[in-house]
Amino acid sequence: MATYDGVFDTVGLREWCDEGASDGPMSMADLLAQTSGDSAQTPLTELPFPSLDALNEACSKIPQARDLTNGVEAAFMSARDVLRVVVDPITQPLSWMLNEALWVMTETPWWIMIPILLLITWAVARNWKVVGFVAIILGLLAFVDHYEVAMQTLAIIFVCAFICVLFGVPIGIAMSRSDKLQGILTPVLDLLQTLPPFVYLIPLIFLFSVTEPKLYGIAVILYAIVPVVRLTNLGIRLVDPDVIEAADAFGMTKRQKLFGVQIPLALPNIMAGVNQTIMMSLAMVVIASMVSAPGLGILVLRGIRNLELGVGMIAGLGIVVLAIALDRVTKASLARIDASQSSR
Amino acid sequence: MTDKTVKVSIRHLYKIFGADPQGALEKVKAGMGKAELQEQTGHVLGLQDINVDMKEGEITVIMGLSGSGKSTLIRHLNRLIEPTAGEVLVNGEDILAWNEAQMRTLRREKMSMVFQKFALLPHRTVLENAGMALATRGKKRDEFEGEARKWLERVGLDGQDEQYPHQLSGGMQQRVGIARALASNSDIMLMDEAFSALDPLIRTDMQDLLLELQEELHKTIIFITHDLDEALKLADHLVILKDGAVVQQGEPQKILLNPADPYIEDFVADINRARVLRVRSIMTEAAPAGEIAGDVDPADNLESVIARAGGAVDRAYRVVRNGETLGYVDMAEIMRALVPRESGAAA
Repeated sequence: MATYDGVFDTVGLREWCDEGASDGPMSMADLLAQTSGDSAQTPLTELPFPSLDALNEACSKIPQARDLTNGVEAAFMSARDVLRVVVDPITQPLSWMLNEALWVMTETPWWIMIPILLLITWAVARNWKVVGFVAIILGLLAFVDHYEVAMQTLAIIFVCAFICVLFGVPIGIAMSRSDKLQGILTPVLDLLQTLPPFVYLIPLIFLFSVTEPKLYGIAVILYAIVPVVRLTNLGIRLVDPDVIEAADAFGMTKRQKLFGVQIPLALPNIMAGVNQTIMMSLAMVVIASMVSAPGLGILVLRGIRNLELGVGMIAGLGIVVLAIALDRVTKASLARIDASQSSR
Repeated sequence: MTDKTVKVSIRHLYKIFGADPQGALEKVKAGMGKAELQEQTGHVLGLQDINVDMKEGEITVIMGLSGSGKSTLIRHLNRLIEPTAGEVLVNGEDILAWNEAQMRTLRREKMSMVFQKFALLPHRTVLENAGMALATRGKKRDEFEGEARKWLERVGLDGQDEQYPHQLSGGMQQRVGIARALASNSDIMLMDEAFSALDPLIRTDMQDLLLELQEELHKTIIFITHDLDEALKLADHLVILKDGAVVQQGEPQKILLNPADPYIEDFVADINRARVLRVRSIMTEAAPAGEIAGDVDPADNLESVIARAGGAVDRAYRVVRNGETLGYVDMAEIMRALVPRESGAAA
């Protein structure tokens, strides 16, 4: 006898419930209830919430809670093959890009790679202080023999952030032009941003083989693309309407307006989005080490698994300095763009 | 002055803001007023039954207080705002029937605009801003550079080419705005409260600059302002707007001397009439009885005549231009003209 038996009896569903009910093996709880005598009188203080499990006890037609999780799993599994056929070829280039980037950045000798990175820093930031700072950080990481893992982490971030910008900026522009699209995409972006990073990994593991780099690549991109989309949209929407009106009044086409006015004026916001995207890629790449993403995250994971405190701490600090370096470089380029525009 | 051709013409123009402008239009045409319409249907009557002719080579000033619909009106001329009903004729053609490509050509080549808040492109240099209209037409930098530089010099901005707009003062930014409009070489210029954001001294400078340029270029200028002094100084044709309707339009001097209703009387009450009124507006054909003290120009304002008379009230002057006698003024008439006409009093 279960607590909610009475409910089904009174609404006359008893027959429907018992229909086809098997007198199969009794659950442990039932058995206990039987042996302990009359359990019909449940005290009010122990009244269970009418949840799926509680109702199932009274009426076997009601599904149990574990049926829900089973259902989700079954649905995903049945869709998996179709999904794989579609998603697998589309995302294959991501695997190639990641493999190539990892190969290039780890196989190139350090005395070529570090100057190249410093040159990129100069090109982006145009600031000797920042270049010096990056040089110190790279030197430090290399000095404590974390050079290779740091390069792996950087390679993944470069590829993923590049793809985020490649797709994120056009999506943001499209959003800024259509309120409808913004209405549709905003909840999606909210979902991507609030979903715990670990949760991304679960369906991806089922979709792709763990040995393929695109598994973590997709996880990183999904997690990190949000800010660049949001800030591109915001930046373009924030462009001074008076200037847009002037562009219209002088007969600019939509294209001229987009490339000549809106994007240049939204650039500080877009760059802030790129900065955020890079920082979030770094955060995710560490978590993605659980699904075989190489780099500093592997060492952190080792620290946790094997309780190697020192290994984990040093790798963690390595991530921090890498994050600072990436942040400084992108901030410097942001400042450079800001300086050439009005400081309204 | 009278036989100039009409360049831009607005016919029976209505603009109603709201969910169902056409339905509201019926009600307005049936005689519903602005306040009533807003209360009953939630629609805002922006403009009602506007009819204005803007003549070639003249400055038409549209004046009204904020909310009178003047900025809405000027945006109908290049269709930044679409009207609910009516016609806008440019060189006799109804531009409301034009497609996007035709409108683009109009905006690029026939009409330029100067804005209250300057609306320069903050990421482009002064020179690039001045050449914006030409660049929009697809000209390369070295093609528009000469033209842009010429107009920048003409508005008194030489040597600032490589500055960015935010490095300039408000007055200088608006000079760039004017140079930008002039460099497009369009014959119609729309000026939306172009000088309202500037401080008074600079505003006077800019008005003088505009008049000086107009002397030379004879553009068709449509100028919006809320400042009556500015309107009287610039206007060849003055249109006074109130609650989206034209209250009175005509030659500014005539409006000043014969205000059509109490609203305009209120408006003109605070004006320094001696400085604004000109001899030609009050002169008479018949020679006065007394002796003639001297000759004055028809464009002289009353202030200068009073100064010339040294305060004496019994003088009379002959109005002469190019050796031809146009009429006469005596001091009594001048004094009468200085007193604003009261409501109901006969002119």
